[in-house]
Amino acid sequence: MLHDLIIGMAGSGGDGIVSAGESLISASAKEGYFAILTKSFGSQIRGGESSCRLRVATTPVLNPGGALDVAVALNWEDFLRFGGELPTNENTIVIYEAKTKVEPAAVPLKTPPAVAIAVPMEEIAMKAAGTQLAKNNVVLGLLAGWFGLAEKAIIAGIHKKFAKKGAEVLAGNDRAFAAGIEYAKANPLPQAKRLAPAAHAAEAGKVLTDGNEMCGAAAIFAGCKFFGGYPITPASEIMQYLQKEIWKYGGTVLQAEDEIAGVAAAIGASFGGAKAMTATSGPGFSLKAEALGLASVAELPLVCVNVQRGGPSTGMPTKREQADLFAAAFSAHGDTVRPILAPMGVADTFEITVEAFNIAEQFQTPVIVLSDQELAQRKEIVDRVDTSKLKLVERLRPTEADLANYSRFKLTESGISPISHPGMKGGNYLAAGIEHNEKGAPSGSGEMHAKMNDKRLHKLNPLTQRRDLFIIEGDADAPVGLIAWGSVAGVALEALRAARAEGIKAKVLIPRLLYPVAEQVYQEFFASLKKCLVVEQSHQGQLHKIIRMWVNTPASFEALAKSGANPIDPALVLQALRQMAQR
Amino acid sequence: MSSESACSTAPAALTAKDFRSSLKPIWCPGCGDFGVVNAIYRALAAIGRPPHEIAFISGIGCSSRIPGYTTAYGFNTVHGRALPIAQGLKMANPELLVLVAGGDGDGFSIGGGHVPHAIRRNLDLTYLVMDNQIYGLTKGQLSPTSNRGTKTASSLYGSIEDPVNPLLYTLAYGAGFVAQGIPGDLDGLAKLIEEAIRYPGFSFVNIQSPCITYGEECNQVKAQKANMKKLSDMGHDPADRMKAMELAGAYGSELYTGVFYRNPNPGPTYDSYIKGLQSELAPQARPLDSLLAPVT
Repeated sequence: MLHDLIIGMAGSGGDGIVSAGESLISASAKEGYFAILTKSFGSQIRGGESSCRLRVATTPVLNPGGALDVAVALNWEDFLRFGGELPTNENTIVIYEAKTKVEPAAVPLKTPPAVAIAVPMEEIAMKAAGTQLAKNNVVLGLLAGWFGLAEKAIIAGIHKKFAKKGAEVLAGNDRAFAAGIEYAKANPLPQAKRLAPAAHAAEAGKVLTDGNEMCGAAAIFAGCKFFGGYPITPASEIMQYLQKEIWKYGGTVLQAEDEIAGVAAAIGASFGGAKAMTATSGPGFSLKAEALGLASVAELPLVCVNVQRGGPSTGMPTKREQADLFAAAFSAHGDTVRPILAPMGVADTFEITVEAFNIAEQFQTPVIVLSDQELAQRKEIVDRVDTSKLKLVERLRPTEADLANYSRFKLTESGISPISHPGMKGGNYLAAGIEHNEKGAPSGSGEMHAKMNDKRLHKLNPLTQRRDLFIIEGDADAPVGLIAWGSVAGVALEALRAARAEGIKAKVLIPRLLYPVAEQVYQEFFASLKKCLVVEQSHQGQLHKIIRMWVNTPASFEALAKSGANPIDPALVLQALRQMAQR
Repeated sequence: MSSESACSTAPAALTAKDFRSSLKPIWCPGCGDFGVVNAIYRALAAIGRPPHEIAFISGIGCSSRIPGYTTAYGFNTVHGRALPIAQGLKMANPELLVLVAGGDGDGFSIGGGHVPHAIRRNLDLTYLVMDNQIYGLTKGQLSPTSNRGTKTASSLYGSIEDPVNPLLYTLAYGAGFVAQGIPGDLDGLAKLIEEAIRYPGFSFVNIQSPCITYGEECNQVKAQKANMKKLSDMGHDPADRMKAMELAGAYGSELYTGVFYRNPNPGPTYDSYIKGLQSELAPQARPLDSLLAPVT
């Protein structure tokens, strides 16, 4: 019995392969499995190649996984276009369309797979449903038949999906699905491979969601009342979620004329006393840089989400990458620091988004959330968010006494000064991008500039003491360690657990606060380490380099840094850990 | 003037002085913007809302310093972005009286892309552009409203571009209120600003506010006063949009002052839609700890 199964499928746009993946993950959720579904497309709007990979398991899933256990190719041209996004190896079972006329012994893969089975999918679909459109249901049937995937739940899912299309279409899809199952039964695998039943029946309160939806929901939970943004892949779903929901909670969404207007409007709303957010991806983030500087100097709370994608420039809009850390840390000119947070998974996106609002409010600063395409768009079965642990922070308001002689930018010990907003009597002040004195009046004084710089920088000091923004797992006295963030955190965690199961003493550090660099947290983590590896999805190893700017690193401090698009295989990280432990 | 235009609904007797801050303007002596800020004090006194209920948003440039010279909440933002910032503010708090100000460069060059969208969205705010056909703060470069042939620090041989026409631009995009004034006619300007504020929707006042340092000599405050032609004296009907566009076409050659266009039947504002949608959808709100629908 298998406890963890990775299936990758690819076809042409109209083949319904992604829809099949969605049916599978819904069915898995209902059966009580844990699963992650990632999708990848060519950049065409319709048609072109499309693919998905589903990792389904009886225990929580941390990442999309490495090599496929099962590969489904509706045609080889499309399948091969995804290259390292759908990696196969000698253990993979390959199922492909017989119409391609490729001999099982000659499938066009670098490493010959364990088994290759040519199935006449289109022919089965035509026979069963009278249309080749039903072939994705044939695929579902094959997968249910061969690997024991949730048969009943899949049928229920198909019914829900095609209910509107009428009884005839529904019956056709049922027959296609049944025909797939029959084909699998009539042609058993040389070695049976079946997924073990889920440990628990579907627990009430499990949620099937993705990072973008989590981010939108968290914003509402945190009290966000204004969102300003502009459509951009892969961040648009945040705006779309909020556009649908936020009005119910007294908030507003502006689809602005451009990225700059989106962030500018959010800054205006924050000046007006509302919690405000903008969200974008790389190119949009570049455009928002000047406005982030304005929010820093005017000390206005703001949350700016950057769902990273492959860059620079247009780059790879639909693919994962973690290459905007430098851009986020050093965005906008001038001598300032903007906190950067990064969720370590889909579920964590909720907590990190709430935290971003809290930090923005507490420290009166823009906060950048670095999500990434994988986290943002991968569908995942997660536990319902336990919101009872989450506290909400509001900005420091002036008291009556403060308002009697109000100084908006009063130099206080903490660097935080009470903030009024239009409508508040006695709180009238001039906010500005220009350097100012305590009252807000423009100032060209070098002394005042130094004082205000100090105020804006030192107010953030307590942040680097926030241990709860760092996850550490493993042996405290381990000689080898990993550091990883964002969507790669789950890859590092899985590799670490596997290594420890083999008896290797190791630990992992997952920073959810990337900037300012919490020197002490790293220093303590490094204390026992002889070797440390930073695993990240950027060619330069941006986190690796940023840590080196601030922290004394262990004798061996390397980066396993990979350009985006292809997921990082946990097996590769495990192999690196083994080598580090040996040497 | 202030007694003349004081609105009967004004609750307390606010005067122009109540809107004057203690900051001393950085403007050159003789700058048109002095007159503009005085006209704003008078208009705000006539409107009668207390300073803390007013937010004054500006961009960057000489004229964008203006919010600091009032007692209202001010936000002197970044170059070109005053309009989107003001719209976000107004959306978050529709009860505020929101004024937006800036120069011709701020509004029609670096921020030009925002103007059509502010107009089509039609939030209830007032946009005042101090148009002097030059970049003063950066010491005399070509502006988007400089006439063809103008010699400046950045067009030594004369400009080879046609200017933007702010009046036609805003009229063409459908602004419901478009006017032009000059600081030389302080009473008239104060009245125009007041009217613009009272207009329920996006209103635009182009103020020909001369630059004493880099502007053309023939175009200073006194000369403007002598050259201006009041639209009201010409018998122009502000409800006539086509005629307004024809008159606006004379921008750069004739100095018309007054209301070019006032939509006689203003539609609902964006702010009113927000309130409507919020109250309509509020009953659908779920408890905050179950925002995401569970698997069933």
